[in-house]
Amino acid sequence: MQYRIILATVLTSGLFAGCAINHPQTAAEFRAAAPGATFGKKESFVVDRQFDDVARTFGEQAPKCLEMRVKMTESGHMHHHVVVTKYTPTVWVSDDSAELHLQFEHEQGVMAVSEMPENGYYLMVADASRLADNKTQIDMYRPSMGYDTIVRAVKGWATGDNIGCPDLTK
Amino acid sequence: MKYLLSAFAFTASVLAGCSGLKAYSDTSVKNLNVHTRTDSGSFLSSTRASLDIYGVNNTCQTAYQGTVILDKETRTIGLPAERPSYLVFRFESSSFLANSSGATNYDTLFTPLPGRHYDVDVRYIDGIYSVTILERITGDRKAYRIAPVELKDC
Repeated sequence: MQYRIILATVLTSGLFAGCAINHPQTAAEFRAAAPGATFGKKESFVVDRQFDDVARTFGEQAPKCLEMRVKMTESGHMHHHVVVTKYTPTVWVSDDSAELHLQFEHEQGVMAVSEMPENGYYLMVADASRLADNKTQIDMYRPSMGYDTIVRAVKGWATGDNIGCPDLTK
Repeated sequence: MKYLLSAFAFTASVLAGCSGLKAYSDTSVKNLNVHTRTDSGSFLSSTRASLDIYGVNNTCQTAYQGTVILDKETRTIGLPAERPSYLVFRFESSSFLANSSGATNYDTLFTPLPGRHYDVDVRYIDGIYSVTILERITGDRKAYRIAPVELKDC
């Protein structure tokens, strides 16, 4: 719990963007920043699944599973800390590519120290691209630590092996 | 579907004995088989599943009817046919070392039809959860998946 609150604070404080003051304001800026960021990475793989199925699963699961508010409370002898985080997923689909953007904003408990894009800071971008032979290229720009359940869930939506929702309190 | 997830450090704040939960009283016809599988993914933590059942009136207001603890592999429940119920599946996780707990919900409106049975597959495996409702017409081997319905769409 405390770990998640600390990590959320770190992500909000600008360290995700390679210790810069400014956060990525668009998905394109996030894609450029994540691979070189302290707590970011790019992960690419090919799934043995039709692009249309991957795109449909992104479109179905993202709003159902990720459009949420999470309230986390940590308290002890002399302190009580509450963080409320709103997650906003967006899915864009075209003929040969699909994009899943996940953004977050702290509504309580963490102060924003840099300019925040509409719908919150970018936490993850997952791109799906149509390949030949009913395969799909997946490129994920994501945190390199924490948020493991979200990452596994999105991978499951891509592969079709596990179409479940991530527990965002994990 | 809007969810509100809550995570609380210190178990006592969540598992207070005065939680107000009551056991759900079945209708006479048991039409819902709930198959549950939970695995927290760690021996240092545990996950408990439960189902809160609410009645829904014709102005879409909900009234708490009771809770079923999903601590057995299969539970058979009776829901009133042709009347909407609001089902809230709760997954409560607690960590022994961190002395913390959290909860996440999956909710849907659901109206059973007479002469039909429903199988609900409830899973929480290592932080990934799913709830699938299948409808079966009595005497028919086919099953039809029931899509979740948000309360705001009542």
